[in-house]
Amino acid sequence: MSLLAVRDLTIALPKGADRAHAVEAMSFGLEAGEILCIVGESGSGKSVSTGAIVGLLPSALAVTAGSIVFEDRNLLGLSAAEMRLLRGNRIGMIFQEPMTALNPLMRVGDQIAEALKVHGAADSEGRVRELVEAVHLPDPDRIVHSYPHLLSGGQRQRVMIAMALALEPSLLIADEPTTALDVTTQMQILGLIKEIQSRRGMGVLFITHDFGVVAEIADRVVVMQHGRIVESGSAEQVLNQPQHAYTRALIAAVPHRARAIEPPASGRPVLELVSVRKSYLRRGGLFSPHVRVPAVQDADIELRQGETLGLVGESGSGKSTLARCIVNLAKPEEGAIRFHDTDLRRLARRHWKPFRKRIQMVFQDPFASLNPRRRVGEIIAEGPMAHGTPRAVAESKARELLSLVQLDPSAAGRFPHEFSGGQRQRIGIARALAMEPELLIADEPVSALDVSVQAQILTLLEELRQRLGLTMLFITHDLRVAAQVCGRVAVMQRGIIVEQGQTSEVFSNPKHPYTQSLLDSIPGRHWLPPVTR
Amino acid sequence: MNRFAGEFAATFLRNKGAVAGLGVLVLVGVVAATASLLFPFSPWDMRGMPFAHPGEADMLLGGDSLGRDVAAGIAYGARVSLLIGAVSTLAAVLIGISLGAIAGYAGGSVDDAIMRFTEFFQTVPSFLLAVVLVAIFSPSIASIVAAIAIVSWPPVARVIRAEFLSLRSREFVHAAEVLGRSRAAIIFREILPNALSPIIVLASLMVASAILLESGLSFLGLGDPNLMSWGFMIGAGRSVIRIAWWMSVFPGLAIFLTVLALNLVGEGLSDALNPRLARQR
Repeated sequence: MSLLAVRDLTIALPKGADRAHAVEAMSFGLEAGEILCIVGESGSGKSVSTGAIVGLLPSALAVTAGSIVFEDRNLLGLSAAEMRLLRGNRIGMIFQEPMTALNPLMRVGDQIAEALKVHGAADSEGRVRELVEAVHLPDPDRIVHSYPHLLSGGQRQRVMIAMALALEPSLLIADEPTTALDVTTQMQILGLIKEIQSRRGMGVLFITHDFGVVAEIADRVVVMQHGRIVESGSAEQVLNQPQHAYTRALIAAVPHRARAIEPPASGRPVLELVSVRKSYLRRGGLFSPHVRVPAVQDADIELRQGETLGLVGESGSGKSTLARCIVNLAKPEEGAIRFHDTDLRRLARRHWKPFRKRIQMVFQDPFASLNPRRRVGEIIAEGPMAHGTPRAVAESKARELLSLVQLDPSAAGRFPHEFSGGQRQRIGIARALAMEPELLIADEPVSALDVSVQAQILTLLEELRQRLGLTMLFITHDLRVAAQVCGRVAVMQRGIIVEQGQTSEVFSNPKHPYTQSLLDSIPGRHWLPPVTR
Repeated sequence: MNRFAGEFAATFLRNKGAVAGLGVLVLVGVVAATASLLFPFSPWDMRGMPFAHPGEADMLLGGDSLGRDVAAGIAYGARVSLLIGAVSTLAAVLIGISLGAIAGYAGGSVDDAIMRFTEFFQTVPSFLLAVVLVAIFSPSIASIVAAIAIVSWPPVARVIRAEFLSLRSREFVHAAEVLGRSRAAIIFREILPNALSPIIVLASLMVASAILLESGLSFLGLGDPNLMSWGFMIGAGRSVIRIAWWMSVFPGLAIFLTVLALNLVGEGLSDALNPRLARQR
């Protein structure tokens, strides 16, 4: 008898949605001591299906058919009170966003103890300590008495795991638990989940969109598309011999180290950063002085005509700040930013204007980077118009650019909210290209997108770069993406560039221990996606 | 824009209170616009015996201590109330948006200076300040509008500043900056349109409080002496309320209904402009 058996689960979407069912005829089983990964892109119904298992569906959704049998009981027939007894007790859950999942006004230890108390477990104090140690949090005595804001994202996720494990559930549901974390932290959390799972023989239902994570952790895999399971099987089989066309497409979209080695760029330098330094002032308390927090320290970068330099690092490493310094969104305190022969750092606002045409930027969040109240055509045309291009010319050019980024030119008359994330990112790219820049700065342009869309955008950027002879500074936290896109990479850690060189060389022979640990943390690094097509 | 407008209208119409409020406002507007047709004489004219009861001498709502028609007074007073409410709100919103936008966009010491200035106005009780201003500049419709605008812009400035603070760090504003757009273009074309919805809601409530302020001033005898207004009528009826209740009750009802209607419309607008919040309720 399996631990969890889901049969023909169908969940209806409210009328007027883009499809009739969030989840349709979904069947799978999970044995004790097994990790099952549910993989799919956003909107595939993977989170909804686990919502149904724990009885936490949004009120607009209703299960219309099927059964969910957990430890010989059909969960769909249970009352709300019976379901509450199971949740937390027999079924533990970890969520995606550790930063908001803890109550900021309650000490960590009390929150874990609360999970125990709700289900009437005695001797909570000793047990809390035990749990905190089990998830390898440093200095358990201090952690138990601290408030959540003192903990890092990874530490908070460990606390969440401790809470989920408090009553030794037989089933752990993890909904994208590492998506909001840095790679190195992600690797630690994956290791922790795997360790605890094998020690206690739990069944783990792990939801993710990342095939690297699947390769790292899964025993079995279920692939979902549009609410249906399109393929399932052992991890080995799905990852290396995918059968369904969708699975193949997803796996082909995973960035893998495949960029041909190019000769080092030998053109003249377009951009040179010389010991750029930027720090932020953090307000002290009433009686304490302001604190200077260094964000970028002594950054030296040289970017030659036609090359793509990747700036790689974890969150808070200062890579975005450095990009903002280059386009004058932040003012560095020291150093020089030389674009051809001009030091951009010393320019006043009005002298900057001619350079705006030559340096452009693509932003990270396709949902925040377009003004929701302007039409797409205006958004693309406004840059050239601000630099004196007549409206008619700028608008016809905007249409051309839309077809260049593979959108229909009629998109010009619509508003950004009518487009998907990938389409919006194309609009963002068109906006940058409208200025005909020499240097394009791409700040995490694909990190908010699904893998298949991510692959399309990367291909588009590469095509455009070659066709238009762009020089590109590509900022990313994903080393797999950097390996695919960049000829050269610079690795940043806590504001310092620790290593710089040809991508192939840095990745095959890292000199700095931090680069080494980043490379070791790439999920699924031992798995080479099969080459299809 | 059509989809936006359609959704907006649908959400607004779903709120029954807002629709009722809108109905009352339209009625008040129609009465104000047609006052000279309904009552083709001056509201200051004697139309009958003093203290005529409602219904007597063709006066639907009775007459006052000098035999003037209360109904005509209310109709002409609606003009004054709506005019003062609209114009002073417009002025207050303009002052508030300019100062709030500068404070929120510039930040730093400019922000500090403007916000201290705003707080200075907020620490003085607004009604007292309005009384002092009108008393100094002698009561006229211009001085009343100015006084009301001066005491009611600070909340607008604070709201706009807060919106600007959060919007100016959004990526689409950075993008405009990187495209080399001027500061004025960024403020007016990129940020301001996205900051307007709370101001629309706030403005509808400000019209209501402006009408109340004007009524209060007229009640104290600080209204424009050449214009019939609701507050003045209540003030005049106050001393004879035991023998002629209709003199204060009907203008009072007019104020009450108009202000209530504006508040209901404001709430409806707020729901329709923030559909996500409204649905959670």
